[in-house]
Amino acid sequence: MSGTAPVLAAQGLVKRFFGNPVLNDVSIEIVPGRVHALLGENGAGKSTLVNLLSGVLAPDAGRLLVDRQPCARLTPALARRHGIAVVQQELSLAPHLSVVENVALGAVPTRHGLIDYGRLAVEVGRVLDRLGLDVALDQPVEELPLGKRQLVEIAKALYRQPRVLILDEPTSSLTAHEVQALFKVLAELRRQGTALVYISHRMNEVMHLCDWVTVLKDGTRTADRTMVGIDPPALVRLMVGREPGDLFPPFRSTARGELALEARGLTAPGIQGVDLVVRQGEVLGIGGLLGQGQEELLLALYGALDAQAERLATGGIDRPSRNPADAIGRGLAYVPADRKREAVLLPLSIRFNLTLPGLRRLARRGLRRFAQEAEVARELTTKLNVRGGGPERAVQLLSGGNQQKVALARWLPLSPNVLLLNDPTRGVDVDTKREIYLRLKGMAADGMAVILLSSDALELVHLCDRVLVFRDGRIAADLAHRQASEEAIVAASLGVARQEAA
Amino acid sequence: MSALLRHRVTLGWLVVVALWIAAGLLKPGFARIGHLRYLLELASITGIVAAGQTLVVIGGGIDLSVAAVITFSAIILPLLTFPFDPSGMAAVAMTLAITTAIGGLNGIGVVLLRVHPLILTLATATILQGALILIAGGSAVSTVNPAVTFLGNGDLFGLPMTIVTWLLIAAVTLFVLHGTVLGSWLFALGTNDRAARLAGVGAGQAILAVHAASGFCAGLAGLLLLGMNRQGYVGIGEPYLLGSIAAVVLGGTSILGGRGTYLGTIAGSILLVTITALITVVNASPGWRAILFGGLILGLLLISGRERSG
Repeated sequence: MSGTAPVLAAQGLVKRFFGNPVLNDVSIEIVPGRVHALLGENGAGKSTLVNLLSGVLAPDAGRLLVDRQPCARLTPALARRHGIAVVQQELSLAPHLSVVENVALGAVPTRHGLIDYGRLAVEVGRVLDRLGLDVALDQPVEELPLGKRQLVEIAKALYRQPRVLILDEPTSSLTAHEVQALFKVLAELRRQGTALVYISHRMNEVMHLCDWVTVLKDGTRTADRTMVGIDPPALVRLMVGREPGDLFPPFRSTARGELALEARGLTAPGIQGVDLVVRQGEVLGIGGLLGQGQEELLLALYGALDAQAERLATGGIDRPSRNPADAIGRGLAYVPADRKREAVLLPLSIRFNLTLPGLRRLARRGLRRFAQEAEVARELTTKLNVRGGGPERAVQLLSGGNQQKVALARWLPLSPNVLLLNDPTRGVDVDTKREIYLRLKGMAADGMAVILLSSDALELVHLCDRVLVFRDGRIAADLAHRQASEEAIVAASLGVARQEAA
Repeated sequence: MSALLRHRVTLGWLVVVALWIAAGLLKPGFARIGHLRYLLELASITGIVAAGQTLVVIGGGIDLSVAAVITFSAIILPLLTFPFDPSGMAAVAMTLAITTAIGGLNGIGVVLLRVHPLILTLATATILQGALILIAGGSAVSTVNPAVTFLGNGDLFGLPMTIVTWLLIAAVTLFVLHGTVLGSWLFALGTNDRAARLAGVGAGQAILAVHAASGFCAGLAGLLLLGMNRQGYVGIGEPYLLGSIAAVVLGGTSILGGRGTYLGTIAGSILLVTITALITVVNASPGWRAILFGGLILGLLLISGRERSG
């Protein structure tokens, strides 16, 4: 295999989002007949690299070569013409269209300008057979279970007979049987000389399938080597290990004896039989790969998802919350990750946003008390150092970091017992991060229980008394502060048994 | 609220004033106190229906059942005559209770069945229309109910009762919108439903309340219409569906919710009635008049009510 010319190559790619580098000087060579693993933590830059390779994004620096020819401006259309196909993690099927229409979408065989349905059925049928996908060709995709839809997505890529096939977590919703069938196809494609890029968090799949591996960490390449002679713990070590610097305050536990919230057998869409306990003043971290049920846990506790539980005790009541308003009444508060869509009301004023959750308590018999509202808004903007104008300015005029401060500050007047934070520093600048960390530790010191979901393992390491790592909707590991190293968290998220000796 | 909104509301009022001045100069008799008073009486019907509509729309919904509820109210009241109720007050109270309950059912449907208000209120309207045909059999019903006659034709300190009623409704609506928790919840829900719910807004209560309020307002408007005409018939409420929505949007309230005020709706209601009055002088067949009316509303919306993109 060595000596084969790369069909697709990148040299020194740099990509910045709003000035923040997400990829820095990354090179990669995609070679025919090789399965190339692309590994990295959440936010390491894998998706950005895939988007650059498939022409969805344009690099800020560096160049792409297709068949050794520099490609000045790769567009998605051009990438398709070069035979580069991507199976995205988020499915891009048209739900109302049939299987056959989805598979052939945009590449339908025609005769005299009309769709050649006969040929279409034969060709698509061939691809489906290959994947072992047994569905009716004319069935609308929305009627299929998620795993089969994922296979249709893969069939769609195969139908175009790509020279480069990039698969982003293709097995996340497949059954073991379907994975087997897929692997057989991938092995066959490799034999036929297709270049494959395989992104997965499942170490056993990577070990089993891949020949070569590139590891990204914080947008830089930390490894680019053959899979021969490497083991999963070594790969995990290549994915972790950033310098925390002085971003985090020194760790000091403020946990007390009294329970703030106890859940047993909590089950909701996306989570299965979760047991957890959080004490007053404790910061409980929730980690894991994206979409393993962490957000669902917070939403279930908050009454925003239908949940059942053997026990769910907080605020002196033992039952799941009926809706957010009910949860708030029991002393819970939730700061969503997607602040523009789920937290702040963008066109409304800072004052309105800051007073909304506590409005009913500020009011007297449903009548607003403007003087008190103004007072609260003033107090909160000063306390959390919200910069960006007076209280009557619209929140959308604030910077992301200051919007996040508003999303957090609006809960303070309610003095919640349990604060649920969903990735509170996503897309926030470093200074604001530091402020949020201090504020969060301060609230815990005042006796609030903080449940901190974070996609940044370092936050879990440096801020939390305890870290629960989620995998497949269950708790995969319960790590005390001392054990919760970045390596341990990542290893637990990937299901890798850690070597005891360091 | 934002400067833009103030600007839109001001714009609505400026158009009203400009139109009245122009009409007063061009058409003799338009600026007579009696005529203006008559216009305001007519506007109060639209204005009252649009009060409930404004609340629903700001909360992110819409009520398409108002016309049917108006008709229902105007037809059901004459049937409610009791020996113990010589003043007719009990019949008025009962009618308003029924229409409020119809609105409440709309609210319950939106909240519990999670049906989009557009569909649900349209279904309610169709059901009500069917019920009316069964009840009234398609013929007009006259009333002698003294309370309703007073509401439609009476005076209080020289002001027509319709206008007095409108002033009361306007005051309450403005107060609810800008002075109560419910009002703030409506702005929050209309701006971003999910974010509002996650912030603890009592979405169910708020939606139920505004639909009930809209039912009440439409019922009240039906009574005023009945009092003015002295008879109710199927179709009496028809013009007020588009009328109430147009008044809301002409007044600068976003049809998508979250932005607006009833002050604008008041201007919108007066504007609509004024245009209708001016069109009647145009010597044209009713068909052409309707086309002209629709075209004018469209034109005004282009000036004042267009949604900003993004």
